[in-house]
Amino acid sequence: MNHNPLPMVSVVGNLSYPPRLSEFTQTFWNGLRTGQWQTTCCEDCKKVTFPPKPVCPHCWSPRVGWKPLGAKGTLYSWTRIHAAPAVFASESPYAVGIVDLSEGVRLACRLVTEEGVALNPGMPVEMVVLQYEDGPLFAARPVLESQEN
Amino acid sequence: MSRRVALIGTSAIPIGRHQTADNESLQVLEHEIMTRLVSEAVRDAGVSKEDVQSLIFTLPRPYTRQKYFHTFLMGQLRLACSGSVMEVMGNGMTAALAFDKACDEIMLGRAEVALALGINMESAVSAAEHMMSSMRTTGDVDFHTSAGFTPIAWYAMDAMRYMHEHGATREQLGAVAVKNRYHASLNPLAQYRKPITLEEVVSQRPIVEPLGLYDVPPRGDGAACLVLASEEVARSLGRPYALVRGRGFYHDGTHQISDVPNDMIAFTSAKQAAQDAYKQAGITASDLDVVEPYAPCTIVEVLVSEAIGLFEKGQGARAAFDGETRLGGRIPISTSGGLTSRGHPAYVTSLYNYVEMADQLRGRAGERQVKNARLGLVSGELGNYNAALIHVLEAMA
Repeated sequence: MNHNPLPMVSVVGNLSYPPRLSEFTQTFWNGLRTGQWQTTCCEDCKKVTFPPKPVCPHCWSPRVGWKPLGAKGTLYSWTRIHAAPAVFASESPYAVGIVDLSEGVRLACRLVTEEGVALNPGMPVEMVVLQYEDGPLFAARPVLESQEN
Repeated sequence: MSRRVALIGTSAIPIGRHQTADNESLQVLEHEIMTRLVSEAVRDAGVSKEDVQSLIFTLPRPYTRQKYFHTFLMGQLRLACSGSVMEVMGNGMTAALAFDKACDEIMLGRAEVALALGINMESAVSAAEHMMSSMRTTGDVDFHTSAGFTPIAWYAMDAMRYMHEHGATREQLGAVAVKNRYHASLNPLAQYRKPITLEEVVSQRPIVEPLGLYDVPPRGDGAACLVLASEEVARSLGRPYALVRGRGFYHDGTHQISDVPNDMIAFTSAKQAAQDAYKQAGITASDLDVVEPYAPCTIVEVLVSEAIGLFEKGQGARAAFDGETRLGGRIPISTSGGLTSRGHPAYVTSLYNYVEMADQLRGRAGERQVKNARLGLVSGELGNYNAALIHVLEAMA
């Protein structure tokens, strides 16, 4: 598993709709600021869940701990949103997608696109941190064949 | 044996723009629409005011100025009753839940006649503003909304995946929109009635790729009232009615997506709920004559048609393209025009689906009539069909 920090991508401006931090989720969001990519794992049934949760959704145990996640995954599906809510208007159109991480966790996030690189279900992607001026957001971007190790 | 429930009367206003902007000198008031609809529906059913003992309302939009709308309306109607009076809310499933809870009132013996009714007014609020609220209804408000997900973005990802897995084309999905517009052209309650071509559908501006303007639902205002009764009451009236023969509900325990990878486009909740409803009704999918699904986008109608067993996996889009789901086809779907053309006043959308089903099963659908329609299915849903509520109804003459 890749415990290296996620690559950082700087973004001009503030988050359009910042996530709330709780005493529990601040571990995730504050960690993300430095590229720490992690979620919760149940100490009883050992299952990992994402987003992180204070109670295991599988066995309802409150004994959960933090565990690093790998950065690599596969794009399950995606869309580009042209009709956006008012607060996202300045960012639209923007791409979002569903990513299956290599360790068997599915999540939905923003996608970082590059001109000339088509998005396709099944393509390899890696997680990155979008560094807005006021905070981080997790996202994924295509991994070009030549960059794969 | 438990009591059975019949749908015996309906009323609705045409879907469209009814809500007035705040600065207009004459305002459209929701309760004035609603009291007329109650009076009309009860007359259509052939019952009297005193027979109505339960009223299940859909929650009005936050834009409706009159709060506690349901109990306010009881005063407007001076209706005293001993069953239940409440507003229900379940996002897209709201109106299907109103119907379902009204059925419960009759099955529990709390009422011989119950109403499922409501109004959804939102068209004077701009789409970008309205989405500020709706973006918080699907997914996780902190972990998904922060990335800019909107309700129909999830369906768009269904479409992208479906095309990837099955080689389906934009044209095949677009055929659903063309077909539904044709159906809507025959429905006086529909919001958009001018026929469209496949070329027009695929050339519309993208909304959420690969879906364009005609693949996604318009926004609109609507209001409807359904009258439900015990089978005994329905039979005593000597008029055609639609009997609820089967009901299925399933929530798959996920919200929007499962973090344990699954087949997202299998719509397993719709499959499970349909199987339960078929079992209760003692039928199979092939016995259905007409289907009125909750399908906000073209892709959703395709996926539901597969999940409820009308077509093999991966065949729904082709079947729609080949005309199998059109009036006169093997199994007509969305004869009302569906959410894309009849319209989608979200919190009351399913009320319109039951109105259409009542019209079909009572032989009152005019040019949209499916010949000899006997068995019909109506669906409601939450999220990306994470939950489904399905009713099978039968025509009783």
